[in-house]
Amino acid sequence: MIMKRFIFLILGMVLFSLACQKALDETPQGVISGDALNTPENVEKMVISAYSGLGNDDIHTSFSLWPWGSMRSGDAYKGGDSPGDNTDWHSYELFSSNRPELANTDKMWYFLYVGISRANDALRRINQVEENVYPLKKSRQAEVRFIRGHFYFLLKILYKHVPFIDETIPEKEYGTVSNRALTNDELWDKIASDFSFGSEHLPVSQPQVGRVNKQAALAYLAKVKLYQAYVQDEKHNVTSVSSEKLGEVIALVDQVTASGKYKLNADFASNFLTQFDNSQESVFAVQYSKEDGTPKGRLNMGVALNYPMNKEFGCCGFHLPSQNLVNSFKTDASGLPQFTTFNNSDAKEGDDFKNNTFDPRLDHTVAIPGHPYKYSLNNVYQKTWARAPQIYGYFSTLKETVAPDDPSFQKIPPFMSSSKNTDILRYDDLLLWKAEALIKLNRHNEALPLINSIRERAINSTQRLKYADGTFFSTYKMDVYKPEVNCNWSPEFAWQALVWERRLEFAMEGNRFFDLVRWGNAAEYLNKYFKEESAKRAYLKEAQFKKNRDEYLPIPLAQLNYSRGVYTQNFGWQ
Amino acid sequence: MMIFLFLWLGGYAQQKTVSGSVTDREMKTPISGVTVKSNRQTVLTGIDGKFSLEASLNETISFSYVGMKPVSVLLTGQSEIAVAMEYEAGNLNQVVVTGYSSQKKADLTGAVSVVKTQQIKDVPLGNPIKALQGRIPGVYITTDGSPAAAATVRIRGIGTLGNNNPLYVIDGIPTERGLNEINQADIESMQVLKDASSASIYGSRAANGVIIVTTKKGKAGTSKIDFNSSISSQTYLTKVSVLNAEQRGRAYWQAAVNDGPGNDPNLNQIYKYDWNGDFNNPVLNGVLYPEFIDAAKTMRPADTRWYDEISQTSFIKSNDLTLSSGTEKGNSLFSLSHYDNSGIIKGSALKRITGRANSEYRMFNDRLVIGEYLSGTYSVGTSVPAGSIVELSLLAQPVVPVHTIQGGWGGPAAGMTDRHNPVRLIEDNKQNKTRFFRIFGNAYASLKIIPELTLRTNIGIDYNGDYARTLRKSYVSGFLVDPSNQVTATQNYSGNWVLQNTLDFKKIIGDHDIQLQAGSEQIKFTAQSFFGSRQGYALENIDYAYLNAGSTTKDNGGSGSGNSLLSFFGKANYSFKNRYLASFTMRRDGSSKFGSESRYAYFPAFSLGWRLSEESFIKDLVPSVSDLKLRYGWGKNGNQSIANNAVYDLYSAIYGTDNTFNRDNGSAYDINGGNSGQLPSGFTKTQRGNSALKWETTVQSNFGLDFGFFEGKLSGSADYYIKKTTDILLTPPSLAVIGEGGDPTVNGASMNNKGFEFLVNYDGSIGEEFTFSLSANVSTYRNKITSLPQNSLTAFPGNGNDKIILGRSVSSYFGYLADGLFQNQSEVDAHAVQNGKGIGRIRYKDVNGDGIVNGADRDYIGVSDPDFIYGFNLSANYKKFDVSVFLQGVQGVQVNNSSKIYTDFSSIWPGTNWGSRVLDAWTPQNSASSIPALTLVNRNDESRFSTYFLEPGSYLRLRNVQIGYDISELSNKIHIKSARFYLQGSNLLTIKSKNYTGPDPEAPNSTFPIPAIYTIGLNITL
Repeated sequence: MIMKRFIFLILGMVLFSLACQKALDETPQGVISGDALNTPENVEKMVISAYSGLGNDDIHTSFSLWPWGSMRSGDAYKGGDSPGDNTDWHSYELFSSNRPELANTDKMWYFLYVGISRANDALRRINQVEENVYPLKKSRQAEVRFIRGHFYFLLKILYKHVPFIDETIPEKEYGTVSNRALTNDELWDKIASDFSFGSEHLPVSQPQVGRVNKQAALAYLAKVKLYQAYVQDEKHNVTSVSSEKLGEVIALVDQVTASGKYKLNADFASNFLTQFDNSQESVFAVQYSKEDGTPKGRLNMGVALNYPMNKEFGCCGFHLPSQNLVNSFKTDASGLPQFTTFNNSDAKEGDDFKNNTFDPRLDHTVAIPGHPYKYSLNNVYQKTWARAPQIYGYFSTLKETVAPDDPSFQKIPPFMSSSKNTDILRYDDLLLWKAEALIKLNRHNEALPLINSIRERAINSTQRLKYADGTFFSTYKMDVYKPEVNCNWSPEFAWQALVWERRLEFAMEGNRFFDLVRWGNAAEYLNKYFKEESAKRAYLKEAQFKKNRDEYLPIPLAQLNYSRGVYTQNFGWQ
Repeated sequence: MMIFLFLWLGGYAQQKTVSGSVTDREMKTPISGVTVKSNRQTVLTGIDGKFSLEASLNETISFSYVGMKPVSVLLTGQSEIAVAMEYEAGNLNQVVVTGYSSQKKADLTGAVSVVKTQQIKDVPLGNPIKALQGRIPGVYITTDGSPAAAATVRIRGIGTLGNNNPLYVIDGIPTERGLNEINQADIESMQVLKDASSASIYGSRAANGVIIVTTKKGKAGTSKIDFNSSISSQTYLTKVSVLNAEQRGRAYWQAAVNDGPGNDPNLNQIYKYDWNGDFNNPVLNGVLYPEFIDAAKTMRPADTRWYDEISQTSFIKSNDLTLSSGTEKGNSLFSLSHYDNSGIIKGSALKRITGRANSEYRMFNDRLVIGEYLSGTYSVGTSVPAGSIVELSLLAQPVVPVHTIQGGWGGPAAGMTDRHNPVRLIEDNKQNKTRFFRIFGNAYASLKIIPELTLRTNIGIDYNGDYARTLRKSYVSGFLVDPSNQVTATQNYSGNWVLQNTLDFKKIIGDHDIQLQAGSEQIKFTAQSFFGSRQGYALENIDYAYLNAGSTTKDNGGSGSGNSLLSFFGKANYSFKNRYLASFTMRRDGSSKFGSESRYAYFPAFSLGWRLSEESFIKDLVPSVSDLKLRYGWGKNGNQSIANNAVYDLYSAIYGTDNTFNRDNGSAYDINGGNSGQLPSGFTKTQRGNSALKWETTVQSNFGLDFGFFEGKLSGSADYYIKKTTDILLTPPSLAVIGEGGDPTVNGASMNNKGFEFLVNYDGSIGEEFTFSLSANVSTYRNKITSLPQNSLTAFPGNGNDKIILGRSVSSYFGYLADGLFQNQSEVDAHAVQNGKGIGRIRYKDVNGDGIVNGADRDYIGVSDPDFIYGFNLSANYKKFDVSVFLQGVQGVQVNNSSKIYTDFSSIWPGTNWGSRVLDAWTPQNSASSIPALTLVNRNDESRFSTYFLEPGSYLRLRNVQIGYDISELSNKIHIKSARFYLQGSNLLTIKSKNYTGPDPEAPNSTFPIPAIYTIGLNITL
């Protein structure tokens, strides 16, 4: 009997010990550890992952920067259903209610650093592979650094002082890197060095059209130098302009031109139509795609809310051209912009566009009631397509959208989008950087042909703006600048012409605000705009640009808090 | 029946047949299933409480029932015996399951609440947990009216930052899935272990409390059939009062003219106004409608009542059948139940079938007991997004028709917000069913090695899965258009197995009563899921909607996960002279979720009790005291609610993710510029690991007092506890520069909960025929975060700098202080700088007095924790009638009534419908109104979170009223043992603060509304 009990006890002990140490070893399912990614094949994949970051923006954080660069520049209203529809943007538009705690300010910051962290992750892996097993090592380093430089550039123009983290800083130390570790100028230099590495190590041509080449790096370097040339003090006042940097801009643009790879498209419209993606004018673009095996397609989501409310689209009516912008396309009797009088009367609808004369770029940029939408004659933009005209008027944006019958169009209910690329660097932009540098260097006569080449192309860009009967959507009258004929090409005049050319050429593309800040006149310009425009758009009565504050977004409150005092807020923000 | 007959025939001379009935002394209701035992025979009472058995004269007949005082009656010649049994409250011999074992209630030293299952058995909510709302002190249950929704259960406040759900133990098997799938009629008993000393034997996952459920078994000596049936109708009484088409037009006009010259009210796309055009003295003559509200001329203006369109008076049908039988050698029970709730929101129906088979076999003189519990559930629900449908009914403009003139779908027109027609969402989704199954059960063997020593082995399984085939139809609904259709088939399966082994030793040596236990438990969880989808379906018919029938955009995906737990535990209970009680438990838990260096942790606990009522100085001097016990308990519990692989650095081959509302997290890129086709891709960092992760622990002290007076007529208990949680697992918001994957999970925060619980019960009677029972409970808790890592401060309400959550409840609200409305220009001018301030607008307090109202003026403005929660139950019996009334309430809770954004403002969402409250908005003539003046532009940023949206959510609800009538006498004529008929009403009456402007503070904003329910039911025993 005792024996029997003993057996039971043994049995019990065995049952207890069934559970051994191994029982708690669980292998992670369906994932891969970081170390497994250091083979050349996987490093190539991590480079693609870094490229992928270029297009991973969302409906609220467009990497085209329209909510910051276009909507805040006097060129565009927020749009949508009402000021309450995406209130963060409403606060941006008014400036007066912008606050460091706005979620979109933090989200954008985060998304841009996601792009940077992907680049750094890829760089660390590239760096530890030997060139003999990975012949593309140098080029890939340069490509990834270009991507990193691009994201830092966006951060720089949005937030001014941002922490600079490259692949040499271990992740554990990220929290110790201040946004003021570098001066304003040093930060520009760091960004420039990513592009100058590319300008040295990238091939002139890449086998894949989406990859960065040498010219793209040169061009971006020129852009950095141009911004850097305007020296800002702590309060964002432009205190001087560096001739040396301007000289570099000119030399760099000239190098791109010398490659012979890029020229202006014959028709301005080609820059905004998917079938001309990666055209001769596109120096670097974010590649989008559809029907590519991803759930909804790798679409241009940053502009997905910017389609009007007709049956084929239906949502959401954001990013609407301002009356001021539409008026700015008016031309005078000699076909030149009306620098001072353009806003004295409004071109609103119907015959306004027959009785005035316009720069043809108007109908490439602005959807106007009664005019065909996106060059599509059987798809005429109606007043009913406007979402909240009582607040924002009837105009709609055109450049970033596509027609509903365009093969690149993709519904992503409730939104619309397309696989149309977004240009980051376009050759017309390069030409005007060079013109800007020349004028600032008092070589304004050299700038004249550059500006005129842009205008010449615009003048010739009316083929798609014609009805079947040969009449045009609007009355176009435009000419190039002819010194002594239709203008006096003085340095002052040349500067005004440059400023106007940039506005009209790149209207609604997300640059304008950053131009104004670079030139140092954002406060004066925007407060004047608010004063005039608020008579037409009541909600702008609250708008006010605070000089020495609103030139930059505040460092997001959440980041200031997470940094535990390592980050410092921008001047003017509490 | 055969056994009865056989015994009957076998009767002999001295024997007589005794019959009688057993009733509940408290409720005066018959008790079925009471074991009635004579020397000769053991029978069970029927549903009418009646029994008859063979017995001899001068023999003692015993009556026993789990949870009730046993009664003995000496048979002296009477042939009818009426026995009234006393329910648990005062019963100290009641057996309470406390974790791998059971104990007498008198010996309990922890904070354990026993649920009176009798009181909830007819509540038709389809989930036993929902029926417990307000009935147990310290257990805060929140729920909504959805047939499918689970309830949120918080035992003793909010103990941690992650998962706060209690652990459920059903027939000894732990599960975190709750009781949704348990047939209410199968439940024999339910206990709630609230403090650490009682719960810590469950170790790792018991920090949020444990709810123990034991299901019924067949009773020895009888076989019977129980049948319960009820039908209920549900009514939606809490619709938000919204504007009709005419009122919406008028309100819009008012808002536009308030905005002054330049804001022509006729500049909108729907309404046209006949008015005098004078902004200084505006007069509206009439609201004019267009012939069509859309440019395509498909929608005529309507006056749609959206809440009526989406809701219905609905029915709940509930039926269950239980067959049980038992002998001395074993017992078995089989039950089936069917629950069908069509839901007050159309398309929210749920149908469920559950089956159960419990059996037990006793062998070798009861030395070996082998048994099993097995239950299976199958349910079919509809994938209609009910929550958003309720919200859309508030947002959809009444001028939009449900259908176009061609019979298509109405939808938003120009100038309206891009929100869907809620009726379309119902109709286009009602064909989409989710089918769910769950198998839950265990098999056990228990062997008495020597009389004092028992070895028990228990193997359990808990697996569930669901399958859904969803057809997303194409639609044109106003300006919302999607020409594509899609079928998605998803299948998920998850679950775990459990292996438990325990060794129990029990011995009484003189005055010393000793119980010892040692055990182990091993659990392994797995989960897998996959989906496939295609587009391009030629027919939009669910019978056609299989993956094969789709032609384009094929997509699929899948994932898996797993974790495991391994634990060893021991327990010792000791009692000296039934007066001094002590209990000690120790558990060593290991979890695969933690780093290898800190996988294991120890969770000790002890408790002490002193039964003062057993001491002579009480027993002799204060005889009215029937029970008095002081309790103290201390213990430590764990929590492991983090991602399975939080200790690892991980990358995923994410090709692309849905980028409709969030960014694509994928790594594919069209580097070739081909615009479509398969793309090269890489890997996305998904997680940074922390190999030092360890258990989160909760230490709890409990001070308790149990009392009973006048032979237990008045009884109750009081408990005070302090609960400290440290090393709380949280994934802090990370500095953005770190990029994807974020910062790793850490053991960081600490939190305190202190609380008090009180329960009192009185059983009384007036004369012989009228008995009653009153019980009341009240409980409260205070939560406080005591420490947080610096980088996590901003993850909580507060500004992260000078106003931080430390020292405050985790449920704090942080925002602006709304300080009334500006009445005139001088008030506006006198106020600090506030962008958009104006007459009739909300004035926000300049808290820091710096002359500017901005983010720095936000402050802590309230807490969503209730001051206290309470319940009150009255049960009474008179002859064949029984009545019970249950009231439940929550006091001092502050609700964020965010629906006010729509019900009070025309400016925040000018494109939606608004609440009828806007008709009472501020005007110079109506200056007493607290609702801001109507405007179309939200200049003053009034959607900012402020005290304007905080409202008192206190309520007192008549949760249940039931009237029953015993019709056993009638039914006896048709060979039924007993029967009872009842009427029940639920949620018939609610008292709320008049300052709560929504319809129901219990289900604020757009939660699924809680219906009023009227039930007719029948209980029958065959």
